[in-house]
Amino acid sequence: MTERRFVYLMLAPAALFLGLLVAYPVGLLVFNSFFTVETITPDVREWVGFENYIDALTSSRIADSAWRTVKYSVFALGFELIFGFCAALLFSAIAEKSRWHRTIFALPLMVPPIVAGLLWRFLLVGQIGILNYGLAAIGLIDDPGDIRWLSDADIVIYSVAFADIWLTTSFVALVAYAGLTNIPRDLIEAARVDGANALKRFWHVTLPLLRPVIAVIIIVRGVDAAKTFDLIWIQTQGGPRNQSEVFSMNIYQRMVRFGDLGEASASATLFLIVMLVLAGIAYWKIWRPSHD
Amino acid sequence: MTDAGNRDIGKVLINAFALLLVLSYALPYVYLLMTSLKPAADVQQIPPSFFPDRISLENFGEVLGSATLPSAFANSLITAVLTTLLSLVLAVPAAYVAAQYRRRITVLFLLFALVTRMVPAVSLGVPLFQLLKTLGLLDTTTGLVLAHTSTAVPLALLLMAAFFEGVPRELEEAARMDGCTRFQAFVKVVLPVMKSGIAITALFSFIASWNEFLYALLLTSENSKTAPIVIAEYNSVYGLAWGPMTAAAVLYSLPVIIVTLALQKQIIGGLTFGAVKG
Repeated sequence: MTERRFVYLMLAPAALFLGLLVAYPVGLLVFNSFFTVETITPDVREWVGFENYIDALTSSRIADSAWRTVKYSVFALGFELIFGFCAALLFSAIAEKSRWHRTIFALPLMVPPIVAGLLWRFLLVGQIGILNYGLAAIGLIDDPGDIRWLSDADIVIYSVAFADIWLTTSFVALVAYAGLTNIPRDLIEAARVDGANALKRFWHVTLPLLRPVIAVIIIVRGVDAAKTFDLIWIQTQGGPRNQSEVFSMNIYQRMVRFGDLGEASASATLFLIVMLVLAGIAYWKIWRPSHD
Repeated sequence: MTDAGNRDIGKVLINAFALLLVLSYALPYVYLLMTSLKPAADVQQIPPSFFPDRISLENFGEVLGSATLPSAFANSLITAVLTTLLSLVLAVPAAYVAAQYRRRITVLFLLFALVTRMVPAVSLGVPLFQLLKTLGLLDTTTGLVLAHTSTAVPLALLLMAAFFEGVPRELEEAARMDGCTRFQAFVKVVLPVMKSGIAITALFSFIASWNEFLYALLLTSENSKTAPIVIAEYNSVYGLAWGPMTAAAVLYSLPVIIVTLALQKQIIGGLTFGAVKG
């Protein structure tokens, strides 16, 4: 067998599968987005051109859910980066003794998202949420009923992100820790000899060297946060008054509750394009310069 | 006080602080465990207490005796096992040539797998629903396995390609000198040395399927419902039955956590090495 044939034969099963179950559905998605078509009767369809896109781009409910997705992602990612990096720096400060710390810290990584969502809902919910009792006990709030995390429309989109932050800070911490251990010690030593204090060493030496690692975290976690569905669904199902409905949930509702396959497809196509463009920009802007 | 003495105290303080931080991070999950062990009546008491006053397996009894949850667990297990097997069969050979034979097509292929990882599940879920409906596979385990495999294959491809990169090219060449075909060399010589890599990839595929929610919600309704869907439904069907819900959540998540603890070193490596090598 020639090398060429061997390569093709080994690739073929996976390529066929991905073609049928990823590329073809994506094609179908884009195709559907140009029709008025119902979820229960996908055979009955009427060509409407870009109408679904115009509807999607002018709908205030979709715009709101998109804006909410941004708020949710930035909030979650921001805290994950801060907490994750603090934890990673702490682990590297205690170096070889940090094995057990890291093991416990990694636990949430394996907790299924819906369990994390349920758990945080239980911690935050109305009368029985233990978090408010804890806050009241240490005097941060006067009464456990003071903050209605999941039923206050103004803050719910941030409250539902707590579960995300808890669940994935460990990923950020472990990746950042691995990145930190790859930094040559003598570079940091050299900066110390030059008289740079700890903060300056971190800012001018550690951080620039971690650039590719940070890029990976932002791309992977940013994309994940923007895609979030289950974690929020299990906490609020998008409520109260749709104030925690993010973009993927909006698409789901359009397709399942309203049965509008055409419009759901148009939104989903836009979502797909935005995600790919964002990942592309993040890749070019943050990651690549470090390779020059 | 000497400088070294100061540093020692500092170290002890940092260690103690780090331990406190890490333990408080695990606290929410410990609270879930504690709650599941309370008698159902105590679960929603006001004010809530962290530890159970009395330990009771009532909640576990209820969910294990229910009509829906045991079969949902069976569905989850079957779906995850089949997804794992299918994604390995598809991804391992492809990852091997992608890592060992650098050609334009293999590079493009890995890029395609990477892009696939960015696709929002809901974007694929919408047309997958239609595709499975056409094939008559809605609400079947086969249908859900296909959907889960479509996300597991790209993940398995990228992981396995990274593992195969550590295999010297000479391994295959030496086997071929001894009279093996390329395919025999791959199956008989390369695969056996990749056991641990394959095991980790299998575990990741398994967990991806076991934890998956959105496709299961979209593509199943009665017969092939998986555990997360049934747990989520404790919301509506039983009002807010927090007691059984926490017990079900523990049963659903604890096995994965235990396996993770047992294999933590390899898993953390698998989770982070791709990112750091990038």
